[in-house]
Amino acid sequence: MDIAVKRNMTGRMTGFVRELNAVLTIVARGITLTFKSPASLIMSLVMPVVMMYMIGGNLQQNMAGGLGFDFGQYMLVGMLVNMLFTMTSQGLSSLVEDRETDFTQEMLIAPVSRYSIVIGTILGSAFLAIFSCVGTLIVSLFMGIRMDAGQLLAVLGLSPLMCLAAGAFGMLLLGAVKNRKAANMAIMIIPMAQMFLSGAIIPITNSSGVLLVLSRLMPMTYCLDLVRAVVYAGTPEYGAVVLFNPAVTLAAIIGLTAVFLAVGTFLVARSEKNR
Amino acid sequence: MNAILEVRELVKRYNKARSNAVDGVSFSVSEGEFFAFLGPNGAGKTTTISILTTTLAPTSGEVKIAGCDVIRQAKEVRDKVGIIFQQPSLDPQLSAEENIRFHACLYGVYGYRPTFRMMPKAYRERVMELAELVGIADAMFKPIKKLSGGMQRKLEIIRSLIHTPKILFLDEPTTGLDAVSRRGLWEYINQSRRENGTTVFLTTHYIDEAESVDKVCIINHGKLAACCSPGELKRTLEYDPAPKVCLPTLEQAYIEYLSKTERGAA
Repeated sequence: MDIAVKRNMTGRMTGFVRELNAVLTIVARGITLTFKSPASLIMSLVMPVVMMYMIGGNLQQNMAGGLGFDFGQYMLVGMLVNMLFTMTSQGLSSLVEDRETDFTQEMLIAPVSRYSIVIGTILGSAFLAIFSCVGTLIVSLFMGIRMDAGQLLAVLGLSPLMCLAAGAFGMLLLGAVKNRKAANMAIMIIPMAQMFLSGAIIPITNSSGVLLVLSRLMPMTYCLDLVRAVVYAGTPEYGAVVLFNPAVTLAAIIGLTAVFLAVGTFLVARSEKNR
Repeated sequence: MNAILEVRELVKRYNKARSNAVDGVSFSVSEGEFFAFLGPNGAGKTTTISILTTTLAPTSGEVKIAGCDVIRQAKEVRDKVGIIFQQPSLDPQLSAEENIRFHACLYGVYGYRPTFRMMPKAYRERVMELAELVGIADAMFKPIKKLSGGMQRKLEIIRSLIHTPKILFLDEPTTGLDAVSRRGLWEYINQSRRENGTTVFLTTHYIDEAESVDKVCIINHGKLAACCSPGELKRTLEYDPAPKVCLPTLEQAYIEYLSKTERGAA
């Protein structure tokens, strides 16, 4: 269906319809580029083997005793959210690559909101992130870790919000770190630190001091907690696994995402324009 | 004729720079005019174009395009301009047609569809018609990486005109192109000017390309050195330094004018 319904005198779309079409176009470009780069598809399947099977598997075999809940399922939820976060924020580095090929100029000269460009890029990256979740689920099957269909649908339903939160965080990093190489490195390293600080694979119930403060600063902590609250709802393990009230967590995610997206987009647009 | 572009006392000083890259420049371009903005390397041409097309913020001054301010109404300005950058700005991983489709949809000319065949008939016909015109119809579905520099430039011309801008900025559009490609490119740009009345703002180092412009401005060291018709520029140099039998070419006049202003500055 052609979404062009509202057009100006020159026959072009206007207002919200134009912005929506721009987001869709940029998302489609992200997906097209994913399919044109088999290496990134292969990497998105290899990564779960390393993260889930090698790191998670070792932890499960050697350190998961006495937790009071099934560590395998705990880790699977953590890895799924971690994959969404890591792959989406890394996908944002395409904005930096585009700058090197001067394609950013082509995007920035378009008569659409900067937010449309950023949201389109984030959701375009989210495609590869969701694809890597499939890899994680396949690895989990081989490891004998199960999730029922309802739980899986809950994770899938929350995934766009997780990707947006991850993208907003990545955008903030891109905007705050002026040097492009440093920004790219930050986007690689910080998700790695987040994985350990936010409880993706290691429970943080007993964290204290600096580690506690850092865990509360990481947006992924709240994303993970929300997904676990939904997945573990009504189960005996809920109290041992979930840290915060889900309503508070959801509000924190939406608040942080909105602020990070606004500040990050402003900083990136300003650094492009004010040279 | 109405001015489509008005520049008043434009100043740009880059962060940490000691002098202005553009220093108090004022000029205007009328609707439908073919305008050339000439100057040596580093004179401030690309900086000026970047400000006019909203990708760079000025330090001070006022710029209006079709009545819209480039700072306060940047989105409206971007709606009215097309640009061919000095450096190619195509996505090398997409095909030629995908690059055009991306641009046309980003500008809201057509609703996005995932394949060429699924795009509206009007789009398909227009793209292929333009591709035939500039001679790259056979390459439209090839990846950008497989296109020569000349073909990529032609593709950028199609892309910049697909949303029928009011004013087209060409920042050294023919750099690196062979003579045949240059001619083909200009034929298409001129045809578009005739058909749509597009205003063209050109910067180039091939001064012969500016021979037929309506108005020429010369910028040097960030300041405007001259702003007149090519004929007037030639006539000012007609008897300087010695009487000439016939008018010089624009290139001769340009070089002589620059030398003269350099000597004057020294």
